[in-house]
Amino acid sequence: MGGDSDVGQPPLKRQKLSKPSHKTPCEGSRTGVAATGSAALMARSICSNDGETVGSHGQIRKVEFVRIIEQALFSLGYQQAGAVLEEESGIRLQSPAVQQFREDILAGRWDECVATLSEIGVLEESTYKAALFLVLQQKFLESLEASNTTAALETLRSEISPLGVSTSKVHQLASFIVCFPEDLLAKAQWKGAGQESRQSLLEELQQLLPPSIMVPERRLEHLIEVALQVQREACVYHNTLDHVLSLYSDHRCSRDQIPTRTLQVVEGDSLKVKYKFTGHSKPVSFVAWSPDDTMLLTCGNEEVVKLWDISTGQCKYTYDKPNSCFTSCAWFPDGKRFVSGGGDKCIYMWDLEGHELEAWKGARMPRINDLAITTDGSHMVSICDHKNIRIYNLEEKTERVIEEEKPITSLSVSKNGRYLLVNLVSQEIHLWDISAATKDLPKKYRGHKQGRYVIRSCFGGTDYAFIVSGSEDSQVYIWHRWNGELLDVLSGHSGTVNSVSWNPVNPHMFASASDDHTIRIWGLSNRPMPKKHDEKPGSSNGFDHLVNGGTRDLLENLRPFNSDTD
Amino acid sequence: MGRLYLIQLDGRIYSCRHCRSHLAQCDELVSKSFHCRHGKAYLFNTVVNVSVGPLEDRMMTTGKHAVADIFCNSCQQVVGWKYEVAYEKSQKYKEGKFILERYALLP
Repeated sequence: MGGDSDVGQPPLKRQKLSKPSHKTPCEGSRTGVAATGSAALMARSICSNDGETVGSHGQIRKVEFVRIIEQALFSLGYQQAGAVLEEESGIRLQSPAVQQFREDILAGRWDECVATLSEIGVLEESTYKAALFLVLQQKFLESLEASNTTAALETLRSEISPLGVSTSKVHQLASFIVCFPEDLLAKAQWKGAGQESRQSLLEELQQLLPPSIMVPERRLEHLIEVALQVQREACVYHNTLDHVLSLYSDHRCSRDQIPTRTLQVVEGDSLKVKYKFTGHSKPVSFVAWSPDDTMLLTCGNEEVVKLWDISTGQCKYTYDKPNSCFTSCAWFPDGKRFVSGGGDKCIYMWDLEGHELEAWKGARMPRINDLAITTDGSHMVSICDHKNIRIYNLEEKTERVIEEEKPITSLSVSKNGRYLLVNLVSQEIHLWDISAATKDLPKKYRGHKQGRYVIRSCFGGTDYAFIVSGSEDSQVYIWHRWNGELLDVLSGHSGTVNSVSWNPVNPHMFASASDDHTIRIWGLSNRPMPKKHDEKPGSSNGFDHLVNGGTRDLLENLRPFNSDTD
Repeated sequence: MGRLYLIQLDGRIYSCRHCRSHLAQCDELVSKSFHCRHGKAYLFNTVVNVSVGPLEDRMMTTGKHAVADIFCNSCQQVVGWKYEVAYEKSQKYKEGKFILERYALLP
């Protein structure tokens, strides 16, 4: 490894050559194969002051870096390029023993495999035995498949059993001897002798052996994907629909990815009133669209539940109970059943014809304030006794209770059914995970004002990355879900903002309803106003909690929003 | 108005005379021997459905205290006050507790 005949080398490199303690530096112009000037340039720039590490922080070891680059080249199919890099840098992806080992496995030369295994670097006793077991297992299964029972038996007796690894597995292997070769594949869950099973054996061995001996497959891609993931999560305003991030620059969305500008103010007369539903005798406090948008359930403040048909405007059915004081209701995702609960301490499940399908009652069932069903229909969440959240698993009939310290005013579940948001009287919003079995502390969001009224909040944005809520100070608050940071406070309303709802198909739009008798639609600030808004004022399907005053009529002016907006 | 959030209590309760919203439970009663301008008043540990007004210092029969008036959430009537700070040692037990005027309560 002389290199002293190269006149063109910069003095820095020549100095390095004279230092014996350094490992092989990048020798740009040594090889004869296609090592162009650009490669030399690159090689020079990679060698930083310290020949051992690469990168501005000195955190990446050069040997490892070069090895995973070589692996990436090989896996992309650039065999020659990989070989050139190996020669140039003098760092081989795998030691010759490992190379030999891989080839032996892929070719099925088992005895050589066993011999090579002992030569590959220093292995722990247990790792060595486990690896040996895997190789011998493959040999055993292949001989069985070839109906070479005697050889298989020989392997089992003399090579596998003495290892002392996992006797139950050895028994299982022994039982395979009495199978037909055709059944063998099914019973052993083995793909059969051939490249595929050998490749999977190789992968298993890779996981077993220490990574410095055999570099795990696709390591470079994995590292880059992890970095992209971290960038994506760090980007607080990330709200785009596309998933492919560019590698050229760090990903950082700007603030104009979240809706901050009022696109439209909807006041009493500017929407066309389609129907006026009358019939409730108390203020209407809860409205729920059916999942197929053809029917509407309304619920008074401690009153009966009524089912309305949107196309005809008639009340299809009134659900009544002797002491009915229902406060809330929720549809099942199939649109055929719904549940309702209220102050009489029972939850009823109804179908569309008015039949009561199921009832949950009993002395233990406390007063229900709010109900919700997850979108996959598996869990029913209810607020009991103001402070408890009961998550009832409908399939397993089990339940889980989360206790809060302060009274809860409202509840909403995310569309993927995993999270639920509760608004508390103490001016906090808590985010709980439904599926987690552990009782982790919830994420908390603060900043808004709440004390007397029922304020609703909801999830929004792609991946439900934002939490948005109304507030009694007439503003809309938007938080980032993961780090709890208050991203924006939007003003514009002149009364308490009671309820918000994010457009389920357009991540850049949401609507808010307020006590100043208006509904506002919010969108992005730098986009031109899309045309659709002018012709068809209306709120999205997700907007099913309408502001209700003390009126006896329900102003039915919402038509389902077309989901083909841009 | 938006939808008011009212807490419902169980058991024997006192409610607001004007709007019947629940205010406190009988179990939370500490003492019945208080007086205010309009007559008798009761001391409670906790009350619900009230909002607290601004803090002010008042001279009372038992001494100087920092109190805040409390209003019923639904009808906005003054129903009593809350003791925030008691300046005399013997009155410290009242801190954080609520007074509801008998006049404003049902039953």
